[in-house]
Amino acid sequence: MIRLDNVTKKYGSETVAVRDATFDVAKGDFVFLVGPSGSGKSTILRLINRQEVADRGDVWVAGRNVNEMPDSRVPYLRRSMGNVFQDYKLLTNKTVFENVAFALEVIGKPRHMVARQVPIVLDLVGLAGKEDRFPHQLSGGEQQRVSIARAFVNRPLILLADEPTGNLDPATGEGIMALLDEINQTGTTVVMATHDHRVVNAMRRRVIQLDRGVIVRDQERGVYE
Amino acid sequence: MIARIAYAFREMWASFRRNLTLTAAAILTSAIALLLVGTTFLIQRAFENLLVQWRGDVEMIVFVRSDATPEQITLIGDTIKSAPTIIDVEKLQYLDKIQTYEEAKRIFAGDPVTLSLLTPENIPSQYKVVPITDDPALVRSLSEQYRSLPGVEDVALAEDEFQVISTLSRFVRTVTLVMSLVLLVVAVGLIWNTIRTAMFARRREIEVMKLVGATNWFIRIPFMLEGLLQGLLGAVVSCGGLWVLNSAWNNGVAGFKPGTGISSLVVPSSYLSSVMVILLVVGAVVGAVGSAIAASRFLDV
Repeated sequence: MIRLDNVTKKYGSETVAVRDATFDVAKGDFVFLVGPSGSGKSTILRLINRQEVADRGDVWVAGRNVNEMPDSRVPYLRRSMGNVFQDYKLLTNKTVFENVAFALEVIGKPRHMVARQVPIVLDLVGLAGKEDRFPHQLSGGEQQRVSIARAFVNRPLILLADEPTGNLDPATGEGIMALLDEINQTGTTVVMATHDHRVVNAMRRRVIQLDRGVIVRDQERGVYE
Repeated sequence: MIARIAYAFREMWASFRRNLTLTAAAILTSAIALLLVGTTFLIQRAFENLLVQWRGDVEMIVFVRSDATPEQITLIGDTIKSAPTIIDVEKLQYLDKIQTYEEAKRIFAGDPVTLSLLTPENIPSQYKVVPITDDPALVRSLSEQYRSLPGVEDVALAEDEFQVISTLSRFVRTVTLVMSLVLLVVAVGLIWNTIRTAMFARRREIEVMKLVGATNWFIRIPFMLEGLLQGLLGAVVSCGGLWVLNSAWNNGVAGFKPGTGISSLVVPSSYLSSVMVILLVVGAVVGAVGSAIAASRFLDV
């Protein structure tokens, strides 16, 4: 589903964010990218959704070479993946329903489809009944659930999550992890960057550890260490 | 498809209302710029009316009496052609009564009193003479000679009426054209800035749109529509201004004595309408293009 082949990404001429990274993620996998801040976890996610382009090496997503993809194809690549962030990136002037519907509207889905899909996915993330709230009326965990609903409403092949529990207390974080696990059970490949020991150790999934841009460990059913 | 169009218009309208002050500034600037462009067109046309008899290097017009016989007309023509070193025989042009009457309709468009006195029967026909020589004295002496021919009513020389006007017209045209171009650039800049501000205010939304896979065109089109609307509204205001200006001008000119030549500075209303159409198109295009450029630079991440 995702493959990185000797990928190097530099910011400017000196800072090397990722160096010679090579790994493979199969369809339906759940992978943690772990490591301290600045170790290159986010950069790898940004290379996968083509917010960044690798300086060397190839990034493959669903059989397509992302590096060589023309800009005009990038929107279609991104429709096959959902993104979840530490700071949720919700639109504050839109309601819960509108935030989720937005993801479908801007890719031109017809209104009847939006009206059908959004309640289903809001129910899935446990926000049924809160459709008309605004983000500031929700707790952090609930906001993250909206963001997950927005990422998942299009039924993507891949879900990319960048520190999704970073702003949440442990109990709330557990709930979010349970939800990501549930989404993973539907066959969606999940790649999650985190430096939260507890969630990694609790889940016992594949762990790819980074240190200053270099992959130092790639372990099935790993722990954080 | 309908969902997309509805979306684009909704977004355009929301953004349009959000930045009302900047939007008003952009509209007003484009209105003033376009008003000047329009005025330039009208002034040019008015001067052209005044100079219509003198088009194509014509510097001497021999008016032939309306009751001249065909022989007299031929004789006048032959006399003019007999000086091929001074006169460009190739370019010598004879306008019969009908053609002269058509021309008069334009010259006297703003002077219906004079025009009503003219008919295709009583109007003089005319020879339009293009000299080869650069020596005005030679042309003037020829004109004296033609004046004494039977059937000639009068001989008009360009240097008498033409040169001051044409110099003036060139000057006015250049000044208004330069001013309107400068203002048009300012208007594009303001529209550009309005759109950029609108996009900056919504950068988070745009970021999310890009992440969920909206195409650049999908993001750009509402902003382009907004710019187009601003340009178009500016053009509508300028059309109103132009109409007011033109009416005031026509009223002013109507106060002059008939036959002074000032009356030919009136432009026909059909011309005014076509200028207005041009302004609307220019306004819309300038607005859309300005905002497309602003949007593209913003989307370039």
